[in-house]
Amino acid sequence: MSTVTLKKVCKTFGEGELAVHALKDVDLEIKAGGFLCLSGPSGSGKSTLLNMVGGLDRPTSGEITVADKRIDLMSKSELAEIRLHNIGFIFQAYNLIPVLTARENVEFVMQLQGIPTEERHQKSTNILREVGLEGLEDRKPLELSGGQQQRVAVARALVSEPALILADEPTANLDSTNAENLMNLLRHLNDDHKITFLISTHDKLVMSHARRLLKLHDGQIIDDIQQR
Amino acid sequence: MGITFHLAWRNLWRNRRRTWLTAGAIAFSTILLVAWVPLQFGAYDIMINASLNVFPGHAQIQRPGYQDKPKIRNSINNAEALAKQLRGSDQYQGVSVRAQGFALLSSGSRSYGAQVVGVEPEFEGNTSSIPGLIKQGRWLSSIDAQEIVIGSTLARNLKLEVGDEVTLLGGGKDGSVAAAIFPVVGIFKSGSNDLDRFFAEIPLRTFQNTFSMGASAHTITIVAKSVEEQPQLLDALNDAIKGRNDVVVVGWEQLVPGLKEGIQIDKVSGFIFLGILIAVVVFSILNTFLMSVLERIREFGLMLALGLKPRRIAGLMMLESTLLTLLGLTIGIFIGSLLVYWAHVEGFAYPGLEDLAEQYNLPGLSRIYPQLKLINFLIGPIFIFIATSIVAWIPILRIRKLEPVEAMRTI
Amino acid sequence: MDPNIAHPQAGTGGGDAYHMMIKTLPLLSALGWRNLWRRPKRTFVILFAITLGVWFMIVSAGMMIGIIEQQVRDMIFNLTGHAQVHHPDYRDDPAIEHSMLLPSKKLQAVLNSAEVKQWSSRVRLPAVVMSERESRGVMLVGIEPLREQGLSFIGEPVVAGRALQSIDDNGIVIGRRMAEKLETQIGKRIVVMAQDKHGEVADRGFRIVGLYQAELEATETGYIFTGLSTAQKLLGMSEISEISLITENRDEIDSLVARLSAAEPQLATQSWTELEPLMVTALEVYDNFMIIWYLIIFAAMAFGLINTMLMSVFERTREIGLFQALGMRPSFIVIQVMIETLMLLLIGITLGNLAGWFTIDVIFADGIDLTQFARGLDAFQMSSIMTFQLEARDIVTINIMVIALGLLASLYPAAKAARYIPIEAITRT
Repeated sequence: MSTVTLKKVCKTFGEGELAVHALKDVDLEIKAGGFLCLSGPSGSGKSTLLNMVGGLDRPTSGEITVADKRIDLMSKSELAEIRLHNIGFIFQAYNLIPVLTARENVEFVMQLQGIPTEERHQKSTNILREVGLEGLEDRKPLELSGGQQQRVAVARALVSEPALILADEPTANLDSTNAENLMNLLRHLNDDHKITFLISTHDKLVMSHARRLLKLHDGQIIDDIQQR
Repeated sequence: MGITFHLAWRNLWRNRRRTWLTAGAIAFSTILLVAWVPLQFGAYDIMINASLNVFPGHAQIQRPGYQDKPKIRNSINNAEALAKQLRGSDQYQGVSVRAQGFALLSSGSRSYGAQVVGVEPEFEGNTSSIPGLIKQGRWLSSIDAQEIVIGSTLARNLKLEVGDEVTLLGGGKDGSVAAAIFPVVGIFKSGSNDLDRFFAEIPLRTFQNTFSMGASAHTITIVAKSVEEQPQLLDALNDAIKGRNDVVVVGWEQLVPGLKEGIQIDKVSGFIFLGILIAVVVFSILNTFLMSVLERIREFGLMLALGLKPRRIAGLMMLESTLLTLLGLTIGIFIGSLLVYWAHVEGFAYPGLEDLAEQYNLPGLSRIYPQLKLINFLIGPIFIFIATSIVAWIPILRIRKLEPVEAMRTI
Repeated sequence: MDPNIAHPQAGTGGGDAYHMMIKTLPLLSALGWRNLWRRPKRTFVILFAITLGVWFMIVSAGMMIGIIEQQVRDMIFNLTGHAQVHHPDYRDDPAIEHSMLLPSKKLQAVLNSAEVKQWSSRVRLPAVVMSERESRGVMLVGIEPLREQGLSFIGEPVVAGRALQSIDDNGIVIGRRMAEKLETQIGKRIVVMAQDKHGEVADRGFRIVGLYQAELEATETGYIFTGLSTAQKLLGMSEISEISLITENRDEIDSLVARLSAAEPQLATQSWTELEPLMVTALEVYDNFMIIWYLIIFAAMAFGLINTMLMSVFERTREIGLFQALGMRPSFIVIQVMIETLMLLLIGITLGNLAGWFTIDVIFADGIDLTQFARGLDAFQMSSIMTFQLEARDIVTINIMVIALGLLASLYPAAKAARYIPIEAITRT
């Protein structure tokens, strides 16, 4: 079964002569449990594609289906619900809520979902342990290193048990050791929990971990490589 | 200067919404003050004019001590000659001679005490609005006519209609009994409770005969072209009576005690209120100025690193906040002036105002017209400008102590 | 964790969203509270503006209510009372033929009921008073001295000489300023002339036994007092002009007035609101004015409030985008901004109320002495000691108004925040 399907998706910014075609008739199918990497130069449409799948942006034309639902037809509130329950996000930086501690950041989504305190606490403890942040639960983001912050972000994306996690340049602000650790963590999660990953990057290290590598250029998929 | 001005203006529009909101706050308080102050002073003008024009006038010439003890024997001689001389000078709007006494007015079985005034029917209209406020019947016909006009409440209490007769009983100047019967020819309604309840007017000559006054009278009432010219009026009158030590000039502030002090209290409390209101506005916009400095600390660091002097940056920021204040002031003065113009044409009315004014013996205060003086328009904006400049410049002073590297590290 | 398990889906109904909102309130409140203190200086400045505004509303309300209340009390104490009973024509034409009989048993029964604190009969008729030198028109009032205590100013001690002692007292008490006008003093005699029951002019000499003082000159020169029986004897009457009474609560007098009317339907019973309609107009004018005044002060605060919240939201653009990416609905973002505003408002209001209370009940507990402006205050019929007074109704009005309008004002920045498009919000640096 497919987790994500794109049919003839176009995205145009601006109008007339100034129009920029970020995506041109993109067709894509991502199977459940996939570990997919989007690569390509800046402006090739990686982020746009990712944002479309996450419901953060709407296509100009075409259909997008996530978990059997046409998200291109949804209202803002419905999109929020889909993101809350089905999709997790990891961004390149500054993506934690600065006034909340690591644990509170992780529990944030569960609180929105209305999960009871006990269960929340249990889950956040487990997840933070799983990403190797035991003992740092009550620190605020500014008191954590870049790698640790990114692990909190991963924990948060993971904790709501989404079918799909979207990551936009997750290693961009990390040194190579931390980047390697993060990718190992993501692969491990993919193996153990069968979560589908869609990662945009131009980091060679990230590409090397991908099971399927998509190359984008000028808003079109120019290469689709299955690895390992 | 050119480039600094340009830069300041551009910076102002980097955050349009905030600029408009801040200018809006300044404009709001400016509108309030620009519209309020002329109306407030206009209301005082109307209060003063209404209380003075109905009867007391702007100044009176009396025997010394008459103001405190208005007794019938405290009269002045040659009053009419002096009045004629004053009228000859043409600088007064009205001059009239009056004699006053207390009498018991009776009709049928009713008796009420009243202030009876002897007036010159020909000239009284220039110094008092009562002749123009006759609601039934007519005004006195000649200086020696045997007739009387009375206040509306008094008429009701005495059950008198125009054409009925009223008996007057009082004490003459020489101690004799003053008694007479007059037909009521007119009933006036001034809007002042005191006048309508306790006042009656008869021709001067008739008064003098009834009260055994001979040719004497009690006051010469003068109304100047404007109540603003009070000092000049008093000077001119003192000049006119030079050489006579049996008379003095009494200004309106003594004629209507309390009016000036009342206005004074109202002015002071009004200004305190507006002052605090400005303080609320100022604190409400302080954040804008504070943030516009704080959020640009990094930018200032860069400018410092490029070799700009801190003084220059502070100057730029001051210019920026001054432009913002002026923008708000301009909008405020424009809209405020429109409101004042509207009030000038239409008059400002407030429900219940007229009823209240009557209770405070302020006839005719049904609509307020603004006092159109430049200072009234400028006083508010000047205060707002000073207040906003002070708060705008407080955060700017910090720029002078800024170190470039430290500043650039600030997020 | 199984990715294939279906999760609860979007838009399952309004009740659900409401439920969720309640559950997330603690989270949103915690976020709001911490956000407030990210820029303490900014928060303090806007708090100060709100506090100042609320303080100003409360103090100006206290001042206005104090002045009005003083005027109402003076008016009631100035021989008006809370209600009066008259011959039906007396009010329009206060003449001797419009007198009324002494209260009947039925009327007395109502007048003696528990809710009436004090009542008294009076003769009150126009007269002329003459000293050796001057004459004035006045109201001659014959009173029951003991029953006037607590009912009107004449029940209070006099400033010179003695007060009247009984209804047979044949001395006369006049105003201090009246004595000056008449150029007379205590111990001297004055002549009072008035029309008696038969339409003849009755006159008689009285010895001045006391001088009273009142706030307003008009009162002091308007009334002279003697014993009720003495006045009746002079005027050859056995009737009275009016009955005046006061109760425990001047605002709940309608039922008493109705019962008095029922006891003596041929007489006119009127409450103070009917006796002094201008005072009621004044109260209404002041009430309306105060609402306008509150709105003006609020508007002055609102600019700052909106601007501060806008800045705060603008600074957090990325964060708000993140909330949305994490699945927070736009309506929750609106609520978050409103909660933050509500916290600011609640703190500001609390401080403003405290400051207002402190100003009114501690600093100016004894009122402000304005004796030096007495003549001017007289022109506005004001007392020379200005006392502050607060009523629960006005405090509630101020607080509810500030919170309601404050939240309304916060809708603008809140809506702005909710409309941030997540993608732009996140990519903006």
